[in-house]
Amino acid sequence: MIRNYFKIAWRNLKKNKFYSIINISGLALGMFCSFLIWFWVKDEMSYDRFYPGYEDIYFVRCNSDFNGKVVTSGLTPSPLAEALKKDVPEVAFVTKLAYNRNLLINFGEKAGKENGLYASDDFFDVFRLPAIAGNPKDALVSPDHIVITRNVAEKYFRDISPLGKTIRLNNDKDYTVGAVIENIPSNSTVQLDWVVNFKETEQEWMQLWGNTMLRTYVRLHPEAAPENAEINMKGIYPKYADMDVIPILQPLKDVRLYSDYKNGKPSGGGIEYIHIFMIVALFILAIACINFMNMATARSSLRAKEVGIRKVVGAGRNSLFKQFISESILTSLLGLLLALGLVKLMLPAFSRFLRRPIEMDITDPTTLISIIVLLLITGFLSGSYPALYLSAISPIHNLKNKLKPGFLNAAFLRKSLVVFQFTLSIFLIISMIVINGQMQYMRSENLGLDRERVLSIPLEGELYNKMEPFKQEVLRSAAIENATTSAMLPIDIGSSSGDLSWPEKDPDLQTNVSVMHVGYDFIQTMNIELASGRDFSKDFRTDSLAYLINESTAELMGMEDPVGKQISFWNGEAPVIGMMKDFHIQSLHMPITPLVLCLDPLNSSQMLVKTRAGKTAEAIQDLEKLTRKFNPNYPFEYHFLDTEYEKLYRTDTMISTLIRYFGILAMVISVMGLLALAAFTAEQRTKEIGIRKVLGASVTNIVTLLSGNFTRLVLISIVIASPIAWYTMHLWLNSFAYSIELQWWMFILAGSVVILIAWITVSGQSIKAATANPVKGLRSE
Amino acid sequence: MIKITDLEKYYRTEEVQTVALNKLSFDVREGEFVAIMGPSGCGKSTLLNILGLLDDPDGGSFIFNGIEVSGFNERKRANLRKHNIGFVFQSFNLIDELTVYENVELPLIYTGVKATDRKNRVHEVLEKMQIMHRRNHFPQQLSGGQQQRVAVARAVVNNPKLILADEPTGNLDSSNGNEVMDLLTELNQQGTTIIMVTHSEHDAKFSHRIIRMLDGQKVTENVLV
Repeated sequence: MIRNYFKIAWRNLKKNKFYSIINISGLALGMFCSFLIWFWVKDEMSYDRFYPGYEDIYFVRCNSDFNGKVVTSGLTPSPLAEALKKDVPEVAFVTKLAYNRNLLINFGEKAGKENGLYASDDFFDVFRLPAIAGNPKDALVSPDHIVITRNVAEKYFRDISPLGKTIRLNNDKDYTVGAVIENIPSNSTVQLDWVVNFKETEQEWMQLWGNTMLRTYVRLHPEAAPENAEINMKGIYPKYADMDVIPILQPLKDVRLYSDYKNGKPSGGGIEYIHIFMIVALFILAIACINFMNMATARSSLRAKEVGIRKVVGAGRNSLFKQFISESILTSLLGLLLALGLVKLMLPAFSRFLRRPIEMDITDPTTLISIIVLLLITGFLSGSYPALYLSAISPIHNLKNKLKPGFLNAAFLRKSLVVFQFTLSIFLIISMIVINGQMQYMRSENLGLDRERVLSIPLEGELYNKMEPFKQEVLRSAAIENATTSAMLPIDIGSSSGDLSWPEKDPDLQTNVSVMHVGYDFIQTMNIELASGRDFSKDFRTDSLAYLINESTAELMGMEDPVGKQISFWNGEAPVIGMMKDFHIQSLHMPITPLVLCLDPLNSSQMLVKTRAGKTAEAIQDLEKLTRKFNPNYPFEYHFLDTEYEKLYRTDTMISTLIRYFGILAMVISVMGLLALAAFTAEQRTKEIGIRKVLGASVTNIVTLLSGNFTRLVLISIVIASPIAWYTMHLWLNSFAYSIELQWWMFILAGSVVILIAWITVSGQSIKAATANPVKGLRSE
Repeated sequence: MIKITDLEKYYRTEEVQTVALNKLSFDVREGEFVAIMGPSGCGKSTLLNILGLLDDPDGGSFIFNGIEVSGFNERKRANLRKHNIGFVFQSFNLIDELTVYENVELPLIYTGVKATDRKNRVHEVLEKMQIMHRRNHFPQQLSGGQQQRVAVARAVVNNPKLILADEPTGNLDSSNGNEVMDLLTELNQQGTTIIMVTHSEHDAKFSHRIIRMLDGQKVTENVLV
């Protein structure tokens, strides 16, 4: 029986090649998108789940009160780790991690920069990473020892055993390799190539509860309830520090996708995109299934006779239903094979694009199940309506080809589905236009400081020690306009403080201002406009204590003319010497916040160099020569500020690219469906067209007649899609502190593009039908 | 075998109700060959559809093999149909996508006959209908007479007790038509009950009894043998 079903399905596919190709390739494209999205989602969901006993690992965050609102931070003070271990019985192990650093490693002649971190004793009890050689736990707690990954071991030691060998870290201190661990999988939120004990980097000021700069992780006892641990954690701050802070636990597996907190509770941060793209995948698959359903119902009149005969010779409704479902499953299967081929072909590019090793492992049970589920869902979704519809009609109607009763409904359903398809496509295209507009805006927005022709060079080793002479030599280059130093990149100032105070300050007001240490010539090099006052200058010895603020800080303090006023901050009480016009200090997702600049060249981590127009290549050559001269132990390293700026929008760029591709694909699949439907309609109406032509209709009349119906459907789709797209895009743009306005032309553009494409698609078929010899159409009856 | 009493069937559109069968009654005995004649629109095809359990009457009684079947649901009718009734149509109604062999095999598939038995049975019937050499052809590749022979083969492959033929020679020339009539006569002689709707007096003469209808009612009944 099944064989018979597939046989006739196969013959039907072969007989109607045009429609089969459209159905199969449409389904293949739809499934292809779904697979890519599924593999991506699967990868995102896999983060941190490879750690043995990951269910017991938690990331510690701190909720604190800020002017009546709960603010959640992922950075914790150093003494919290010890307090957690001592006061919270549910906690088995605690580790604190200093932020990752890219430090120079030397072994013999070999040198390179490797990313690693300083972690406290329990690190390998919390993160049970497999050892290749030595005992990582022992190595971490032994003084002057370092644990390295397989990567580093292979790079620096090749064939010899690294255990017991000494390497120099940061051109500063020697460490003995105590253990080698497996490389950290890329789907870990904690990344490192080396670990050294936290004590090696610990400083006294870190012991203060107010200084938060570490990440803290705990492993609870397997049977312990995290809720109980959190209750016990509430007692820590009241006991050790007089601060209104409550530590909370976040399961390690959630760290990747739930990084944003609102009112002390996780509110998203990545998971939204997972949801959005899962919906997009579903949409695209639905569009492809609709093509299939539409063609199947449209062409069902041609199948009616066959169904009638089958019923007459004994087929029940059940077996007919099975037959049609087998047909759609066969079509889906062919689509699936094509889709898998496409995935295999495109996966390397997709991985490069996501910067993640995305793999298709068919033997993996979840993948296998998802493939089968996708096949069945697609098969049933596409085949169900024709199956139910055709199998329900009485055999006499079938034999007489009289499908009138259900047929009107089928036509209505078909039109509704076309409207649904185009609504989705138009929605995606409007989104594409808006997202693209916002990306353009972010790229071209004037930040209030220069990011073109600005290079940053990390001040490491001798470059730090001989900062001033190095700067003087840099300035001597004809290709370089100016240079300054700063503690971080001015386009992404991540450090903030609540220490700002001024005479009229309301004692209850909590403040949080961004802060950065800079060297001389910062304002000039970055081309920041001063609203009043001046830059730090060597001519004024007192400037080492003075402050530069931005307009937002002046506004916060309620000062119209702050220059010369005394404020209290990290350098103690000192005057404001200049007010900068507000410039963007973070990505455009964030609003401009109050900023205070302190002069302290010794706190700099990089030199910012402004090159002369058209001389960037020469400048880089000069800088390389100078760096080699000053700092021979380190490789020459530089970054373009505008590239770093682009990196702030990596997720946005990724989303925008994905939406663009998926939007185009959705449109292509919809158009394919429209093409098939138009061809079929033209075919069905040959006789009508013949009669009309005999009665004097022109080709234009006929084309307008045939295309008009479809154009109407697309117009309805535009009307439905526009408000939905407006609402969704409005929400998305709201996630930016600075965004473009939604413009009416965006909707008109999307609509016109779709109408034009639909019209070209349909009119091709209409013209073919309209220019055919009318006698042919009349004779066919 | 068949007893219909006061059988009624109406067709309704929004405004008009047309009577297709008007209190029609007659019997058909097992082994009989009955021809039904009458002008177009007299209700012949409607009657045949009801007798073939393809359609349900609106009133009256229809007893098939001693069982009252009017009011049977679709599933029960389909079940009774596939085991007891074979159909031959004017327009052959073969499935274009299936070969001769597969068309004839179809009723056996739906009655759940095993594959080997199916093969033997289909071969047997195809031999009998002298169409064996064409078994791998598709219907479009056959002449009208050959197509109707395939249709007859399909109708008898399940050994039905009753064959319903709706103008079986309507689309055939006289020599092919006669061949088909000879086939039906032979089947009848072997015990199959046949009810045939026809416009052709010539074909009707092959039967035992002619029922003439007009406006959904029986007008006359002539016994020929």
